[in-house]
Amino acid sequence: MDALLQALVNGLLSGSLIAVPAVGFTALFAILRYPSFAVAGYVSVGAFAGWWVNTRFGLGAAPALVMAFIAGGLSGLACEMGALRRLMPSGALTVSIASIAVNLVLENILRFVFGNDLRGFDLPILPDLQWGGVFIGVQQLWNLALAVAVVAAVFGFLMFTRFGRAMRAVADNPDLARLKGIDPRRIAAIAVVLGAGLAGAGGVLLGLDTSIDPMTGYRVLLSVFAAAVLGGLGSVPGAVVGALVLGLAEELALLAVPATYRTAVGFAAILLILTFRPRGLLGEKAV
Amino acid sequence: MSAALEVHGITRSFFGVAALRGVRFAVPEGSITGLIGPNGAGKSTLLNVVSGLLRPDGGTVRFLGDEVTGFAPHRLAARGLTRTFQVARGFPRMSVFQHFMLYGPRQPGEGLLQGLFRGAAARRREEELAERALGIARRLRLAPLLDAPVTALSGGQKKLVEIGRTLMAEPRMILLDEPMAGVNPSLGAEIAAHLQSLNAEGITLCLVEHDMPLIRQLCGHVVVMAEGRTLVTGSFDEVVAHPEVQEAYLGHRA
Repeated sequence: MDALLQALVNGLLSGSLIAVPAVGFTALFAILRYPSFAVAGYVSVGAFAGWWVNTRFGLGAAPALVMAFIAGGLSGLACEMGALRRLMPSGALTVSIASIAVNLVLENILRFVFGNDLRGFDLPILPDLQWGGVFIGVQQLWNLALAVAVVAAVFGFLMFTRFGRAMRAVADNPDLARLKGIDPRRIAAIAVVLGAGLAGAGGVLLGLDTSIDPMTGYRVLLSVFAAAVLGGLGSVPGAVVGALVLGLAEELALLAVPATYRTAVGFAAILLILTFRPRGLLGEKAV
Repeated sequence: MSAALEVHGITRSFFGVAALRGVRFAVPEGSITGLIGPNGAGKSTLLNVVSGLLRPDGGTVRFLGDEVTGFAPHRLAARGLTRTFQVARGFPRMSVFQHFMLYGPRQPGEGLLQGLFRGAAARRREEELAERALGIARRLRLAPLLDAPVTALSGGQKKLVEIGRTLMAEPRMILLDEPMAGVNPSLGAEIAAHLQSLNAEGITLCLVEHDMPLIRQLCGHVVVMAEGRTLVTGSFDEVVAHPEVQEAYLGHRA
């Protein structure tokens, strides 16, 4: 019983970490209409940017998140405008493949600058809370709170601000949006900063949870992709739900199978959802 | 009769392939002009250029005497030139009423301050626009569907929403991209009647359409395009009798 509860708690906590980059991934997809695997690179860039302000200036988690958002967002903007957008006329598949290359470039720039070592954030180590037989890490709870705050901020932005509305209009129907005076190129730039920035912020959350290295983003890429597909590509609430479901599924699977099969859960989730509900849990029917 | 729209020497290519090679024609003010031509003639590209979605490589577009080449679509709409889309998808999450309201012009509530505090001017304008939206919905027989999400409508009803949306902008001229494509015949006849009644009120219409009986019925003036150029202009009977038009549609005679 305790093992089950512990798995549920762990699943929720790890799912919330994936939720932030998954929202970034899905936001990028909603506007650019191609799956950008460069998010893995943005996650790592954000993780290192956050780590840098944390260890260099002794700043806490919140400033690290802000810095990660900025660094991730700017690296996303540079990659998108500098490389990926030029390939748009060749189709979504080409850009998507190129985004894998962009990820490799970012990963190796980080490796060149920071080296290949594992690095940890400089934060006090807190003892786990115990509740019955279930252990909950204080840092993990903080991460959950930060993830919730970040996702809530994104919702607020999309629902209530002019840019958010314009972004949803472009995602739904770019030509019709132009008749209303919305410039899809400008909106795309804002969406790239938002999506890549979220990926960067997610990198800090992952780093706070364990440690970081240039492969941090790449390691969670499958989970991020699976979460977004699970929830319905392009749906922001879907990405959150998908991440939580995936986190729970991964932890629950560990009760039955060895930990080496953990990644297989992501693949299985993608296969199942594409077979039985191709538009995802919360995705809208393709028109 | 003066021209509502004059297109002169428009060229546009995509990655080295010329889609438009110097199109020129005029749409007489108050007319219903049909733009026809075989697939690949460049009709849709031309519509996109005229409505501001695409920038031409060369040539000029004049609307009611003023040069408007390369104007953004919303600026053209403010001058009274609007368009419908062939694929009338709309914004899937929004209702018919919301579509209409969104395209009502001169809404001060779109500014941040007015929008936040819902100033008196914004409220008044909103009431005016709501009234107008209701009137348009009644006229197009969409009133019972005003609160329905556009995704719940049939293909033909979506085309009507497209037309209603352009009417919200108080247009002088509407460009229609295949208003009858994929619409059942009875609703098609209804749409045709709506177009005629709008034209009778002085709105110039220019439609791209493949339905020849409809073109014959509606259009006093027909422009035929082929391979990115204007081939012939004239009345329906004149243009269909033209040997070049027959050749463009049917291929070279043996």
